[in-house]
Amino acid sequence: MSGPGVGWYLIVAAILFATGALGVLLRRSPLIVLLSLEIMLNAGNLALIAFSRQIGELDGQIFALAVMAVAAGEVAVGLGLIVAMARRGVALDVDQASALRG
Amino acid sequence: MITGAWICLFAPLIGAAFITFMGQDITRRQAGWVSTLTTFAAFGGALVAFIGLWAESPDNREQTSTAYTWLAAGDFDVGFQILVDPLSTVMMLIVSGVGGLIVWYSMGYMAGDDEERRYFAYMSLFVFSMLMLVEAGNFLLLLVGWGLVGLASYLLIGFWHQKPEAVAAAKKAFVMNAIGDATFAVALVLLVWETGTLEFFGVFDQAGSMSSTMINLVALGLLGGAVAKSAQIPLHTWLPDAMEGPTPVSALIHAATMVTAGVYLLVRASPIFELAVDVQHLAAILGAITLLAAGVIALVQWDIKRVIAYSTMSQIGYMFLAAGIGAYGYAIFHLMTHAFFKALLFMSAGVVIHHLDGEQDIRRMGGLKDVLPRTHIAFLVGSLSLAGIPIFAGFWSKDGIIASAFAVDDALGAVLYAAGLVGALLTGLYTFRLYFTVFHGEQSELVAEHTRHEGHGEGPRSMLVPVGILTVLSTIGGLVVIPGVWEPFLTWIDETAEPLVHATVAEDYGTSAIAVSLALVGFFIARAAFRRGRQLVTRPALWRVLEHKLYFDEFYDALFYRPAAALADTLRQRVEEPVVERSLDEIGSGTIQVGGEVARVQTGLLRTYALTIAFAVAVLIVVFVAVR
Amino acid sequence: MGNFLVWVVWFVAAAGCLGSGVAVVSMQNPFFSALALIGNLASLAVLYLLLAAEFLAAAQVLVYAGAVMVMFLFVIAYLGGRADAPWAGGSPLLRTAAIIAAAAILVEVVVVLGLAWGDNLKDPAEVSDSFGSPGEIGELFLTDHLLAFEITSIVLLVAAIGGVVLGLTREKEPA
Repeated sequence: MSGPGVGWYLIVAAILFATGALGVLLRRSPLIVLLSLEIMLNAGNLALIAFSRQIGELDGQIFALAVMAVAAGEVAVGLGLIVAMARRGVALDVDQASALRG
Repeated sequence: MITGAWICLFAPLIGAAFITFMGQDITRRQAGWVSTLTTFAAFGGALVAFIGLWAESPDNREQTSTAYTWLAAGDFDVGFQILVDPLSTVMMLIVSGVGGLIVWYSMGYMAGDDEERRYFAYMSLFVFSMLMLVEAGNFLLLLVGWGLVGLASYLLIGFWHQKPEAVAAAKKAFVMNAIGDATFAVALVLLVWETGTLEFFGVFDQAGSMSSTMINLVALGLLGGAVAKSAQIPLHTWLPDAMEGPTPVSALIHAATMVTAGVYLLVRASPIFELAVDVQHLAAILGAITLLAAGVIALVQWDIKRVIAYSTMSQIGYMFLAAGIGAYGYAIFHLMTHAFFKALLFMSAGVVIHHLDGEQDIRRMGGLKDVLPRTHIAFLVGSLSLAGIPIFAGFWSKDGIIASAFAVDDALGAVLYAAGLVGALLTGLYTFRLYFTVFHGEQSELVAEHTRHEGHGEGPRSMLVPVGILTVLSTIGGLVVIPGVWEPFLTWIDETAEPLVHATVAEDYGTSAIAVSLALVGFFIARAAFRRGRQLVTRPALWRVLEHKLYFDEFYDALFYRPAAALADTLRQRVEEPVVERSLDEIGSGTIQVGGEVARVQTGLLRTYALTIAFAVAVLIVVFVAVR
Repeated sequence: MGNFLVWVVWFVAAAGCLGSGVAVVSMQNPFFSALALIGNLASLAVLYLLLAAEFLAAAQVLVYAGAVMVMFLFVIAYLGGRADAPWAGGSPLLRTAAIIAAAAILVEVVVVLGLAWGDNLKDPAEVSDSFGSPGEIGELFLTDHLLAFEITSIVLLVAAIGGVVLGLTREKEPA
């Protein structure tokens, strides 16, 4: 069965990626930033799988699986960070975490 | 014989090194003895060399000896080479003999000075340097000795370094000598370029094949060095100031030996000068000008040492005159007799100064004849010798020079002859003015004061014995040349440098008659002026000019010093301060500023960092697509 | 008929994807954002199915939506009110720059796609029925991509340890 060509999936992935990027850059809550990051990762996954289908090799899907696993790990650590921040009373605001200011 | 020459050269150096390294472990007196004895050892070595050379047949009287090859570059090499020939042995004897007497004298003169050891180390260094100069077998070693005597002179003039005048005088001497050293070095460079060697005999053999311009340039360079070292006009202003040094230093360096190095050079390099006749005549003319100028300046000086210094300048003018017309034997003969009587004069003046606790102004002296009888005799002998009264040493040598000028047949000879005779008159005038003012007349207050306090003799034995020896030498030292009877000294020097002119016996004695009469006229005028309490020069304008030493110092100051100082000041204000100093500050503050600006990138906000990454990605996409 | 169905499914899934994506980014209540993300993940799973990646679709739903999002919800519940995320703040310059950057990336990607539309993206390759099946993926993981497999497992281990460390309560901390 044929459906939309690979190109369409890629466009969806691109728009999803841009959306996620906007979320990362524009939101102040670290939680929302993490969620937006997840969107970006998923967009990347979609692109990988689309290409894998296009060239007929499974390497893209393997890569996407690995990305999924790493994303899971990253979310775990990120959430741990947020919980630690909340426990210490640090405000959950990305703009206030500016200890790296030179 | 050659060994003797080597011992002569190195004994003083060993003395100097010993005193330096032993430092405070030897007493001051012991340092004095080390210096004196090594200098006399050098004299012994010189004597051995001299006698050995005398025993050789006349054809074999040019012996060189090379210790090792010092410098080798391609075809050019220079060795540490000494030359034993008639001229160098005579110079060795004079330097080590008179030097030894003066160093012995210093033991008494400098006794009690805190830094006596340093003094004797420097004196030995000087004797070594001067011996190296006269024993050198090639021009490079001569230049080394030349430079080292300049150094020793600087160290010794500025010996009393707490006195700012002494330090300034030392610097002046060194800088003026440096001008001479520079021209000398240029001459050597030209010699190497043209002939490829610096050995005396190598150069002299090839000198004939050099172009006329080259030979003149080389001769001019050598003459420049000689003029500076021997304090002839125009590079003479350092010599009177050099009297700031201790009196024995003035005696040794600025009378007997160092200042005569220029004459030695003119005689040693005579083959070169004979090919550059104009330069040789220039030397004679400069000598004549100096002898007259120094003579008139000496008529008005008040400092006892400065009068003697100008007298030295004048007598060296005679030697330059002789070397300039080719009377080499007489030039060296006068060098020897001058060493005797000038050292004698300085040393007797030193006894006077020592007795008066450092007073050098003759206006405060007088009547010392009865107080210091032996010194009086010594000074009188020295004065008679200087003025050229027979039978004293100066008579034989000075008149020989003037007669040789007569033997030069052209206009130059006539002018030089006249100058020599006028010089004889001037010499008589200033010498006896000095003698009468210091020793005759009533005792001045100062003298009376010192005579009351001192009760003992005129001075320590170490001071009086050398003075006595020099008195004897100044009396009989000239008897090695009696024209028409025997002239062994002249024949001896002739082997090295064949004279260009030879006066007949009649010319010689005729000239002597005129010169001696002129000197006696000077004596009587001086005595008459003294008896009447008048000065020899009374016109105020003339007095002022002469007192300011013909305004040479002021002229050089305006010509060289002022522009240089003004330029330095301008550079400092315009260039160094704003550009160099402030730029250092600006580099520092500028870096801090830039650092501050750059640090603003570190906002600490995660979002800006993420934004930067996003932009980078956007750019990279374009780059990747374009590259593909 | 089959083709049309595929298109419709695709359309719905794509719309759901994009819509929920925008919702995630723009909601003020993080709980709703998380829920929107779950919707996003589900839509993506459907898209994966359309792309013959069955195993990945299943993994997506199980791991991502099932485990990761549950973790998110737990944390949001724990944080409670503190997790509220208003839109305010940030300099206008920053916001404009961010929009420009995101837009630039989007435009570039679309342009590149457009350039390659004709040739590379023409016909997808022929694939067998077992393309994307767990068996095939498993086989690849354990042969060609064994290193990736092992490293991924190490990364997960490190993340787990990290999570534990971050969650530790320091007993000795002064109050």
